Amino acid sequence: MSQEYESVDLVGDETVKQFTGAVLIAALTAVLAQLSIPLPGGLPPFSLQPFGMFFAGLLLGPLWGGFAWALYILVGIAGVPVFSNGNAGLGYVLVGQGTGGFLVGFFAGAVVSGAIVHRGLQPRSLASLSVPMQAAGCVAAVAVVYAIGVPWLGSVLGLPLTRAASIMAPYLPLDLVKLAVAVGIVGGGSLATR
Amino acid sequence: MLSYRPGETFVHRLDPRSKLLVQFGLAIAVFSRPTVPVTAAATLLTLGMLAAARLSPLAVIRAYWVVVAVLALGPVIAGVALGPPWFRFEPALRSARAVVRIVPLLFVSAAYLTTTPVRETRAAVQRLIPGKAGQLFGVGMALVIRLFPVLYQDISEVRDAIRARGGERRPFYVRARLLAVRSLERTMDRSDRLGMALRARCFAWNPTLPPLAFERRDYPVLVLGAVLTLSPLTLLL
Repeated sequence: MSQEYESVDLVGDETVKQFTGAVLIAALTAVLAQLSIPLPGGLPPFSLQPFGMFFAGLLLGPLWGGFAWALYILVGIAGVPVFSNGNAGLGYVLVGQGTGGFLVGFFAGAVVSGAIVHRGLQPRSLASLSVPMQAAGCVAAVAVVYAIGVPWLGSVLGLPLTRAASIMAPYLPLDLVKLAVAVGIVGGGSLATR
Repeated sequence: MLSYRPGETFVHRLDPRSKLLVQFGLAIAVFSRPTVPVTAAATLLTLGMLAAARLSPLAVIRAYWVVVAVLALGPVIAGVALGPPWFRFEPALRSARAVVRIVPLLFVSAAYLTTTPVRETRAAVQRLIPGKAGQLFGVGMALVIRLFPVLYQDISEVRDAIRARGGERRPFYVRARLLAVRSLERTMDRSDRLGMALRARCFAWNPTLPPLAFERRDYPVLVLGAVLTLSPLTLLL
C-alpha cells in the first residue's frame, strides 16, 4: 500500500488570530446587513451594515479589514444571501438597487479607515491609539463610501452626478448618525479592550 | 430568492472558473460599450444561458424584483425637471439605455447562482487566487458560510434581550449602539474560540482541496469568457 507523506505547514498564531477576527467580522457584517431599525416619518430604515465597515477598519487594520470585506463580498457572489434583503450574486454587487458601488465603497472604507487608524498593515491595540484618530478613520471611511457610491449610482442609472447625489442626500444624515454612534462606541472604550 | 438547484444541465456541468470568467467578461463588455446592439446581443446571449440552465427569465425578474423596480425608477428620476417642460425625454432615454444594460448582468448572475454549488465557487476562488492568500480566502469563505446562521442566532438573542428590557422605547441611536456593541462582543468571543479550535486542529497552509478539472465542454465557454473580457480592446483598433 502506497502512502504519501508531506510535512504540515502550520499557520502562525498571529495570522490565525487576525484571520478568525476577519471571518467573524465578515459574518457579523452579513447579519447586520439583514437588520435595520424602522424610523418614523417615512424616513428610510436605519441600516446597521456600515458598522461592519467601521469594526473591520478599527479592529483589524487595512489588510485584515479589507480581507474581511472581500470575504463578505465573495460569499455573496458565491450565492449565499448575505447582502441586504437576502440578495446575492455578482449582478447585485455590480448594480444592486443602483447602490452596488456602496458595497465596493464599504470595502474601500474599511481599508482607508484601517490605514488611517493603524498607520501600517498590521493592526495595533486600539487602547494605544487616540480616540480622535479613530474618529478621523471613521469619518474618512464614510467619505470614501460616498466618493465611490454616488458616481457608481450615477453610472448604473445613467444620471448626472448632481442628480445621483440628490438621490443619496436623504441617507447622508442617517450615515452621519451612524458615524456618531461609531465614534461614541470608540469613545466609550468598548473596542479598546479587544 | 435565488439559490443553487441541483441539476444535470450543460451549465451545471461546467467548471465554476469558466462560468465566473463569462460573468466578469460580460460585465466588462456591457459596461465598456453601452450601445443598443451590444446590450441586445448580451441579452440574447444570457437568455440562451438561462435556457441552457433551465431557468425562466421571469423567475429571475421575480427574484430580483426590488432591484428591477428601483432601477426602473432611474429614467423617471432622470427625466423629471424642476421647471417647464417638467419632464425631459433625452435624459430619461439616456438613463433607460443605462438601466437596460443591467438586465443581462442579472440574467448571467442568476444562471451562475442556480447552477453552481457554493463549495465549487469556494474551490474556484481558492485556485484562482494564488498562494497563501487563496488558501485563506477559500477557508474563510467556508467559515463565513458556516458561521453566518450561528451569528444570526446570537444577534437575534441580543435583540430579543434588548426588547425584553424595554429597549423599543429608547431612541433609535441608543438601540443601534447597544445592538452593535453587544453583537460585537459575542462575535469577538466566537472569534477567540474559533482561533483556539483552528490551532487545536493544526490549521495548516497545505490541506486537501475538492477536485476541480476543466473538461472539453469548458474550452468554448472559456474562450467566450476571454473574448468578452478582452472585447473593450477592439475600441482601440
